[in-house]
Order: sequence, then C-alpha cells, then structure tokens
Amino acid sequence: MPSPSPAGWWVWSSTTFDGGDVETQPLEPDLLGLSAVALLIATFGVVLRRSLAGWVSAYRYQSLVLAVAAGVVGYSTGLLDIYVAAVLTLVVKVVVIPRLLVRLTSGLEGGLKVEANPYVSVRASLVASALLVALSYWVVQGTLGLRGLGHVAGAYLPVSVSLFFIGLLVMVSRRTALNQVVGLLVIENGLFLFTVSLTRGVSLAIEAGILADALVGVVIAASLLARMTRTFDTLDMTSLERLKDD
Amino acid sequence: MGALPSGWDLLMVTVLLTPISAAVLVGASRRVRLAEVATVVSAALVAIQAAGLMAGVVAEARLAAFGDFFSLDALGALILIPIAGVGLVTALYSVNYMRRQHERGIVDDRHLVRYYAGFNVFMLTMLVVPLANNTGLMWVAIEATTLVSVFLIMLYTTEGAIEAAWKYLIVATVGLSLALFGIVLFSYALSQASPSAASSGTAMDWTLMATYARSLDPAVVRVAYVFVLVGLGTKAGLAPMHTWLPDAHGEAPTPMSALLSGVLLNCAIYGILRFNIVASSTLGRGFPDALLIGLGLLSMGVAACSIYFSRDMKRMLAYSSVEHMGIISIAVGFGGLGLFAALLHIINHATAKPLMFFASGKVSQRYDTKVMADIRGVVRTMPLTAMLMLIGGLAMAGLPPFNIFLSELLVLTAGFGSGQIVATTLMMLFLALVFAGFLRHLVSMSFGSPKATGRVVPDLPLAGHGDSGPLAIVPMAILAVVVVVLGFYVPQPLQTLVHAAARVLGQGSTP
Repeated sequence: MPSPSPAGWWVWSSTTFDGGDVETQPLEPDLLGLSAVALLIATFGVVLRRSLAGWVSAYRYQSLVLAVAAGVVGYSTGLLDIYVAAVLTLVVKVVVIPRLLVRLTSGLEGGLKVEANPYVSVRASLVASALLVALSYWVVQGTLGLRGLGHVAGAYLPVSVSLFFIGLLVMVSRRTALNQVVGLLVIENGLFLFTVSLTRGVSLAIEAGILADALVGVVIAASLLARMTRTFDTLDMTSLERLKDD
Repeated sequence: MGALPSGWDLLMVTVLLTPISAAVLVGASRRVRLAEVATVVSAALVAIQAAGLMAGVVAEARLAAFGDFFSLDALGALILIPIAGVGLVTALYSVNYMRRQHERGIVDDRHLVRYYAGFNVFMLTMLVVPLANNTGLMWVAIEATTLVSVFLIMLYTTEGAIEAAWKYLIVATVGLSLALFGIVLFSYALSQASPSAASSGTAMDWTLMATYARSLDPAVVRVAYVFVLVGLGTKAGLAPMHTWLPDAHGEAPTPMSALLSGVLLNCAIYGILRFNIVASSTLGRGFPDALLIGLGLLSMGVAACSIYFSRDMKRMLAYSSVEHMGIISIAVGFGGLGLFAALLHIINHATAKPLMFFASGKVSQRYDTKVMADIRGVVRTMPLTAMLMLIGGLAMAGLPPFNIFLSELLVLTAGFGSGQIVATTLMMLFLALVFAGFLRHLVSMSFGSPKATGRVVPDLPLAGHGDSGPLAIVPMAILAVVVVVLGFYVPQPLQTLVHAAARVLGQGSTP
C-alpha cells in the first residue's frame, strides 16, 4: 500500500468540487450526498434485520437507491449506457431477484425463522458496520492513492467499498447459510457502484453479463439452500463441517 | 462491431456455437443416449476447431473478431489445448463412468441429461476465457464457470456434495468479486492513461492495457494486481485461498473433477498471467514475481503435507492440483526459462491429472470406496487400469521418464539460473515430500492382496466391469501415451506454440 498522498487528500476533503475533466455537467452535490447516505442507511438495514423477509426488503430498498445513484451518474456523464444499466438494475435487483429469493426459499422453514443466536450480536454488528464505513473512507481517500477523481467518484467510491466490507461482515457474523447469500448480494451491489462511479460503467454487454451471473447465482444458491434443508434439516453453517482431512 | 467475421474469425465464433448447440439439443431432447452422442460429437468438433485456431495463431500470430472483443494470441491458444483436448477425453470417459454410476443407482436419467447439458455449458464458459479480449467478459465467463460447476457438483445429493458445492460457490464468488474490483481498477488506470480508450468503451480490453502498460499509474496498478491475484488465485486454488478446492474436487462427479483440476484451474491461472503481463510492465518484475513465488511456495508446502497424510484418493489428487498450480506460479515468478517451463507444465499437469482422476474413478467404482486404506491389489483386480494409474501416478510423483519430471526439472533450472536459491531449494524439498507421499499411497493401493484390508471387494455385479470398459480405457490410454511421449521430447508444433506463448508472457519484462 502506498502512503497517503497529500494531493489526494486535498482533492477529497476540499468542499469546492473541482471535478476536472471527469464531469461533463454540473450537478447539485446535495443529490450525491443524499443518495450516498441513503445507500448506507439501506445497508445498515440489512445488518439490522434478522429474517429473510427483512433482508429481502432491505436489499430491495438498497438496490432501488443504487439504481437512482446509477441514474445520477448517468445524468452527470450523459452516457446512455449508464441509464440503461440503471434501468437493468431496477428490473433485476429490485423486482426479479427479491421475488426469486422469496419464491425459491418459500419451502424453507428453517430459513424464514428469525435467527436465534448470531456469532456477533446485531448491536455489535451495527457498531462494526459504522467502523467499516469509516475504514472505507480512510482506505479510499488515504491509501488507495486515486488521484484526480471527480465528485461523483468522490461521493460513491467510499460507499461502494463500505458495501463490500459490510457484505463480508454479514457473511461471517451470522450462522445461517442464507446470510451468505445476502452478504454476497450486498457485495455485488458494492461492485456495481464501484464500477459505475469509477469507470463510468464498463460496456453495457459486460454489465448485463455481471447481472446475469448474479441472477443465475441466486437461483443456484437458492436451490442449494433447499437441498441443504432437506438433507441437514437446518441452514446452520455448523452442520457444514463434515469434509476435512483426517 | 466490425463487418461479418470470416475465415479464422468465423472459427472463433463457431467454436463457441458448437457447445451451445449441443447443450440446447441435450436440454430439448432429454434423451440420455442422444445426450451422450451429442456431447462426444460436440467435444470432438471443438477439438478440431481448436486445432484450426492454433494453426491460425501460428500462421498469423493473433486472431481477432468483432473489433477486438474476441481475440486469440499464442498464450490463449496454449490454454485452448487443455480445454479442447481434456474436454474431448473427458466427454468419452463420462459416457462409461456415468453409465456405471447409473447402474449403481447413484444417478437417474434426469440427472444424466442435466449432467450432459451442464457439461456442454461448462465447456462453453471455459472456451470464452482465452477468447475474450475484454477482461470484463473474461471475468463474466470465469464466474459462469463457478456457477455451472457448482450445478454439476450438486448432481449428487449426498451431504458431502452439498457442503462442497456451497463452500465452493461462496468462497469462489467472494474471491472473484475481489478480482473484479482489481479488473475495474486496471480499467480505471487505463482510462486515466488514455482517455480516448475509455470513451470508446474499450477501457477493459486487455490489448489496450498491455499497450499502455508503461504509462499506467503504478500506485493503482499495484493495488489492482493484488486484488486480481488474490481473487483469481482463489479460483486457481493457490494457498491460502485454496480451502474450497479439496472439497469441491473431491466430491464432484469424477469426470468433473478431471475438468476442474485439469482445465478450469488453468483458466484461472491464465487470467492471472494476463494481468501479470500488464503489471510487470508497469511496475517492473520485482513486485509481481515476489508475490507469485510466495503464494506458489505456500501452495506447494500446504499441498505436500496434505498429500502425504491424505486418506481419500480424490482429495489427495485435489491437493496435488494445489501443488501444481503452485509450481506454475513459482515458474512464472522465476521468469526467463521459467516462463517456458510454466506453460509446458500447464500442459503436462493437464494430461497427467485427468489420467489419475479417471483411473481413481474406475478404481473407486470397483472397490466402492475412495478411502485409500481400503484399496489394495489394483494390479490384480484391474490390471489395465492399474498400469495406466501407475503411469499417471509415477508422473505425478515427478519420476522420469514422464512429462512432469521434464517440466519440473526446467523450473528448477530456471530457479537456479535466476539466482533464487532459497525458493528453488524450498521447492525441491516440497517436491521430495510430494514424491514420498504419492509413492506411499500408490504402492499401497496397487499391490498386495485385495483381501488384505479385511474389506470385501464387491463381486462384479454386472458383466464387463472387472477392469474398466473400453470407453474408459481409451481416454486413459490416450492421456498415458501423451504423458510418456512428452516425457521424452516436446514435438515441434507444440514447442513452437509454447515458445510463442512464452514470448507473449515475457513481453512485460522486455524493454
């Protein structure tokens, strides 16, 4: 890791947005800030909830804000591709994936129950998430050494890295296999935001490919979950410790 | 999008269309016999077309279709060899192996149709990896390989298979997310260095990254490379990210284990090599090489110990894959002659490892177990299979005159030549441990009395299963012949291709 660059700090912490050549249209910074905060709140929602229905609605809300954020990036860059990506996100992540998750797991009694004893309590996870958000700002602004970022990337990059960290936290801090799917989806949202804000979106075909992978991944994960409940009668991860070398 | 492709370019499209058509045919007809035929025919057609593409690369150095969206150079062509070659022998072996699983009542007709449909989709996703010039598409294909192979592992509904599939899905997907972060960072560095590239929607093209490698921001590339290495390293089974691998390769249907070990790992390594070329051009060889050698040695060390103490035959072979991926990344880290050795080792590992998986699959069907302590006297019960297994096993142990010995010797030579004395010595130590481990298991399984374990070897419930059937022997024999021939010499066409690929791989370090 390179040392924090003073130049990077200045660009990031300055309140006068000198977007340089990255931005093509002026933009109200309030909209950026608001959507970034809304995304973080949605992410905290995922951390707070303790049942499948709760996670799905938090994820749906997060994806909705994400689509709006992509729309904001589309507006600021004027690229049609990003608008299309925003609409795709809206369709796939706000409508299709939540519905699929609910439908495919409707037979899982174990999964829909409120989780009894996570490894890390909800309160502690929330504190950890807050710390992870701070860490993300520090990582992006201080150590990544990204210089010359516009204010869109300035607002969204740290949030996208937070989504990644918090997704990981959700995956490791809870006991049920369902959490790992939810965590992965949060990570995937982080990746999308990272891509859109840093590179103005990769080409639309690739964006669609990534979404298709996510969609198929959800279907496969859900059918594995169904098998898991049938075979092990639980979604508790501690039952998945049979394979080892001894 | 350019004009309609023609000639070589057309071949790049049809080679992808072949497995798609086969998958559709299998899915639509839902008849097992037809599925078997369609899969074998599709694999054979892919092999023929891949051979054509290799000839094209030798003739024209680089093929491209749809602008530069798809392209193939010598490095990509080299990876096509295991995909197409191992794909074909695995398709043949699948027919015998999966029929036997059907007779044993482990799978039913529905499973078989799903298996063959999945097989063809799996081939498609792996074929896209070396053909994609757009690194984003390469990532999408690699993630798709994870999903398809999870689907194929789920074919068995045992507790072990479900556990393995779940771990594989989660660990590999998290790993690949990291890789995508890295790829996006590479693309960002490119768009900073050349804004014109970004605006035309080609900011993820590998050829552009390689062209502008020297003007990329080193700080960004350094971080990006670490992300890509950790991410794709997870998929390639490099320690310490390898934890999912023994489970997944151990629990998958055996022909799938052969494809996962012999082909898919190489696709992931291929991705690492692509970004290694860019990174070592931007940063100089020091940093990327040190990372590769470090991860490679760790993989070899972990694998060598696990191989020695393994109980399960397929898990032992899976750890051996971790070891060989380690050897390949060490060899790339050594540079120079090491690049040639690494690429040759990819081919050698991709022939010997499927051979071993094939043999182990037939042996465990015969003995009804994968536990090595319960397997004795294979030489007596299945002489042909035993002979082929010994060829593969001795090759894996690194004995001459087999192909793995040759490339390992080249890697060690490259190591001493590049002055990496400590790393090379450690590598020799691990190789010795692997040798001891492999030989120990191989001898105990091959010789002795089949009844020595006190376990009754099941009588032959069906005729023709004393030794493996001809459809299993033929693919194994093909691989065994390659293992032996490549141990004596590398044929001229292959040598040309490996040299050309090594030049592509070394282009980052040549000023």
